[in-house]
This record gives sequence, C-alpha cells and structure tokens, in this order.
Amino acid sequence: MKRPALFAVSVMALVGLSACGSTTSQASPSASAGPIKAAWIYVGPTTDGGWTTAHDKGRKYVEQQLGSKVQTTFKENVPEGPQVSQVIEDLVRDGNKIIFATSFGFQDAMDAAAKAHPNVFFEQATGYKMEPNLAEYFGAAEDADYLTGMALGAASKKGKIGFVAPFPIPEVIREINAVALGAQATHPGATVQVVWTNTWFDPTKEKQAAQSLLSAGVDAIGQGQDSPATGDAAKAVGIPWSGYDSDQTQYAPDIWQTATVYNWGPYYTKRVQAAIDGTWKSGSYYGNLADGFVDIAPFGKSVSADAQAAINAKKQALISGSFYEFAGPLKDQSGAVKVPSGSKLQLTDILTMDWFVQGVIGNPKGA
Amino acid sequence: MRIERRLTTPRWLRVVVPVASLLAALVLAGVMELATGHDPIATTSRLIDRGFFASGALSATLVTATPLLLTGLAAAAAFRMLTWNIGAEGQLVMGAVGASGAGIFLHDQAPVLIIPAMMAAGGLTGAAWGAIPGLLRAYFNTNEIITSLMLNYVAGLVISYLIFDSHSYWRDLSTFTARVFPQGKYLGPAASWPALGAGSLVIPFGFLVGVVSAAGLFVLYRYTRFGYEVRVIGDSRAAGRYAGMRINRKIVAVMALSGALAGLGGASQIGDFRHVLDPRGLQQAGYGYAGIVVAALAQLNPLAVILVAFLLGGLTNAGYSLQGPDFPAGLVGILQGLILFCALAGELLVRYRVRFRRLMVAPA
Repeated sequence: MKRPALFAVSVMALVGLSACGSTTSQASPSASAGPIKAAWIYVGPTTDGGWTTAHDKGRKYVEQQLGSKVQTTFKENVPEGPQVSQVIEDLVRDGNKIIFATSFGFQDAMDAAAKAHPNVFFEQATGYKMEPNLAEYFGAAEDADYLTGMALGAASKKGKIGFVAPFPIPEVIREINAVALGAQATHPGATVQVVWTNTWFDPTKEKQAAQSLLSAGVDAIGQGQDSPATGDAAKAVGIPWSGYDSDQTQYAPDIWQTATVYNWGPYYTKRVQAAIDGTWKSGSYYGNLADGFVDIAPFGKSVSADAQAAINAKKQALISGSFYEFAGPLKDQSGAVKVPSGSKLQLTDILTMDWFVQGVIGNPKGA
Repeated sequence: MRIERRLTTPRWLRVVVPVASLLAALVLAGVMELATGHDPIATTSRLIDRGFFASGALSATLVTATPLLLTGLAAAAAFRMLTWNIGAEGQLVMGAVGASGAGIFLHDQAPVLIIPAMMAAGGLTGAAWGAIPGLLRAYFNTNEIITSLMLNYVAGLVISYLIFDSHSYWRDLSTFTARVFPQGKYLGPAASWPALGAGSLVIPFGFLVGVVSAAGLFVLYRYTRFGYEVRVIGDSRAAGRYAGMRINRKIVAVMALSGALAGLGGASQIGDFRHVLDPRGLQQAGYGYAGIVVAALAQLNPLAVILVAFLLGGLTNAGYSLQGPDFPAGLVGILQGLILFCALAGELLVRYRVRFRRLMVAPA
C-alpha cells in the first residue's frame, strides 16, 4: 500500500494513492422521512474481488429488493481502531438507522456505539458481542470448504495441494482441515501445505505466498484470503485454483475450480426489512448450506463431470445431515486419533479448533 | 523559464502564498468534482463541516490527529539533521508493545503510577527500536532509510507473533472468546489515559503529550547546544565535523529521540484509544508513513507540526465522511492529495522564484 518516500514524493504518492474507481450517478435525493438509511462499513475496497466485494453485492441486492424503501451507503478501506468509531458517529449523524460492520476488528467500536445510540440497529459480522441493538451474523463455511477441498483433490495429479492462509486462528484452521478432508475424499493420501500471510487482504503478500507454494511443487492451490491474488500466481503456471468469498471465475477461468461463497444479500434484506417494520431483534445468526447462506461458487470448466457429480451428491448429504465432515475417525498431524470412530466434534470444539488433521503440512500455531 | 532560490523572502509572500495555494487547491478540486458529476460547493462545505464544525467533529479530529502529531514530530526531529528515519511506523508499533506490557504488568496499581510508566515504556522501546538503524548508520555506515524501513516489517512480525503465534505475556489466553479469535489482554480502567473535556470537546491526553513534546522539541532544537549541533550537522555535515562535533553520537541520539516520539504515539494508541495490543489495526492505520507527510508540510518546524497534524486529522475524517456509493475512496484520496500537493507546491514558491527569460536563439 503506502510506501514511504522523501518529501515531495510522499505527497505525490498520496495523490496517486488509489486512482481507481469510477463514479456513478449524482447523490440520491435528500432524506425526507421516506426511505430508511442503511450503511455498511468495509475493511477493504469494494473492488477486492473477494470478501468486501461479496458484502457490497449484498448491499446492492438490498437496494434491488427494497427499492425506494431504502437508501444505502458504505465506507470502504476503514482501518480497525479509533477511526472506525468516528466513521460510525458520522454515519449516525447522517441519519443511518441500521449499520452493518463486516470485519471482526470493528467489534469493540460497534459495541460502544450500540450503547451510545440505542435508537440505531447495529449488526456485526464474524463477532460475538451482543446488545439489545447489536446483532451478530456469520456462516458455517467449513461445509462448503469440504466441497472445495473435494474439487482440489480431484484436480490434483500428485495429491500435493497448497493453501494460502491468513491467520492461525480457529476459523481458518477448521477451514484448512475441512479442505484437507475433502481433498482426501477424492484423492486418498492428499496433503495440504499451508503458508501463513498474517493478513486478510494484501494482494502482494498473498501472491508471494502462493508463489512460494507453487515453487515447492504443489499441483493445486486454495486460499482463505480476501483477494484473488493466489489465482493470479496459479494462472502463470496453469495450476488448478480454488478461491474464497466470491465467484472469482473471471480472474482465471481456465484454472478455476470453485470456492466457498457467502450469500449476504438475503440476510441483509431481511434485517433491513425488519428495521423498517419495527420487528428487528438482536440475535446471533449462523447461516449454513441448508438455508443457502453458505454455498460453493459455480464450477470452473476444468472440473470433470465425475467430480461435479460427487461434489453435488456430498452437498446434498451435508444439507440433509446424513454426512458430517468432522466425524470420527479423525487423526491429527502426528497420526494420533483425535476423534474416535463413532463420535464427532461439537460446535465448541470447532469454534476453538487449534490442531490440524493428518495430511496438513504446516504449523497450526503459525510460522 | 528558470527556478532559482530566493535570497530574501518578502513578508507579504508568507501570507499570500498559503491563501493562494488553498484557493488553487479548491479550484482544482472543484474542476475534478464537476468532471465526476458532484456539486463542488456542497462537497467542499461538507468536507470542512465534517472535519471541524459538525457536532463532535472537532473531538474526532483530535483523535485522528494525535498519532499524526507524534509521528510527525518523530520525522521532523530526524529529518532536521538529514537523518532519514522512515521507521516511525515500526517504532510506534514497538512503543505500543512496551506501553501495553507496562500496563499489563502494573494492572493493580494506581493510574498515577501506571500512566507515566506506560509513557516511559512506550518512549523507551520506541527509542531502542529507532537506535538500531542509528547505530548501524553511525558505526557501520549502512543506509538508515533502508534499515529503518525494513525494521517496520520486523516490528509488524513481532507484534503478530506476540498475539497470533505464541502464548506471550501480551496475549489473552483465559477467556473462551480469546480462544475463538486470538487477542491481547485488555488493560483495566486504571490504565486508561484521562481525556480532558471542555464543554462538548474532548481532548485526548496523548494530544496534550504531543503538544508538550512539540514545544520541548522546539526549545531543544532552537535554544540548546544539542539543537545547535543538530542544525549545523543538518546544514553541513562536513562543517560539523571540522568544528569537532561528534557526528556519530548525534546520529544515534537523534534516531533514538525520533523513535521515542513515535513510541509515545504507540503508547497513546494503547492508553488513549485501543486499551489492547491490536496487531492488525495498528499496522493498517499507517500512522508512521503519514507522519512523514506531516513533517514535510510543516517544514520540519515542531510547532507547525501541531497545526498540520490537526488539519490532516480533520481532512482524514472528512474524507471518510465524503465516501459513499457515488463517491469512491479513490476519489476522496485524490481530493486529499490535491490539497496537500498545492500546500507543498506553495511552500516551494516561498523559497524559490520562477523567472521567465527570453530563449537565446541560436545563430542560423
């Protein structure tokens, strides 16, 4: 992002900081009792091609569904910390009645704002704090991650899969475990090699991490990052790739497999509508494959018909509950049995998962 | 056309140039707003209103200005001697590590003890981190631009390691939520720095620390022997050497001083605002790099740094306020850049003048 330079150069850098993005129409008509104002706070740019793009698609879906009943806005590239409190205050000042924050690091500021503004509804993605006017929402990605893993396993010839991962935290560890188990279902003995980037969104770092895996000899690659930079690296060497957060086919159609995607739009619409109707209630929503909140992206053209059929069958089994990926027998990296046959992991175990299943190459403590 | 240095600067120019460059910025910004289909007057008035005049805006501006003030001073302190400390980013991060460590260690003590200890710890760790490139420069002649910059990345890895990759003293391991998502230990209310209220205006304690530091730095560089030597070495390293000044020691001292100021900025982030060591948020904000811009606009004058940090804080906040579906972050960045660019270009006109001369026509 920002690179330091001397005096004038630093200012010039500011000028050119991000000369992307185009404008659309003139600002919408001023608020006159009519539409409810809804706002979204993003940690990255809406053009990140992944996490934030998916949320912004959800925002546009709300506009489409509710039309003139709603007036939406968003703030992008908001750094976690004191800045977000000010952004929230500014949104409240503008008369926004429901505010969605889409990064875990916004949680403390959202909690404080919820207490200070009892007449505004707050919604925090991926967090856990709740107030009468602060709700939480997220989805069980691991089921879709398992299906993504199946695609990677089927695409890999040698069974050596790479994974570009953000942080060694339970959310990501269970994602990697699900991918590994899925890959082993379609390619027995497959391994998943992990590189940590310590960032959600940094295309340069993500690409470097992907390149290091590719030069280590992986022949299929997945990611838990916010941008499609991993696909950019894989495209250069023609290695099958699965993305994350959004349908990213367009970035590398020839190598695209699938991805875990979140379908935020219907949830957002439901919540804004509830705010309009006065029926909004706090709560903690955890969407899944069955209700369509979590899904896999459309398959790429290189995914074989057999693999597609197997994945679709498994998806139905996950939805009906006849299959669960974290059921025993499960072994950890050392080969020791973690979950014996006949038992399965509970929600608490999954939420605090800090160990890798057999076949994952990497350190669940990072580095 | 030639640009040449002014021997004397007329007094009227000091007034006219800032006003003219501000007008130029507004005109340029207006052209751009028109070109992208926005009302220039509405946009500009919203920019000013949300930066400084709306209810609560001034307090918010001070919050954003606080780290910029301290990193701006850090850059000004080093640059005055032509010592290029690009490492305020990492020094701020290490200052936050030191201050939160002190806050956790002294958690059951009284605020009168905890708060000065946090400031001291933040300043010292920042100074130590800044002294590393200083020592390398002084005794191994390495380029401090590169070493101080690289140490920013090292500091980023250190802070990530402390919270994400280890069971360190800073990491909270006790609660269930901390097992779901790794986080630092939250400091108790006794470690919260007091905010000064004046009516609806809230002044962060760190901002006052910054103002006092600016005054201290001004006095140090203007009226002491140390400051005199720094200025001499900055103007001419050779002259300093011939005069018998100990340049190597000065480099280490100035880098440590610069690091201490940035470290105080990190301590203020913990004590004033975050109350927890937050690896992602601290790195994402980029306060260290922004401090370079602040120092440059302030002409390295510590007192001017206060004003510039304040204005830049308002401009940053107002920028987020402008943003929306029809006003992308990139356009906001361009607007902010235009204003800064005009301010800097104006300063050039104060010190240099443009002369038009007829071109010599070569004989046929």
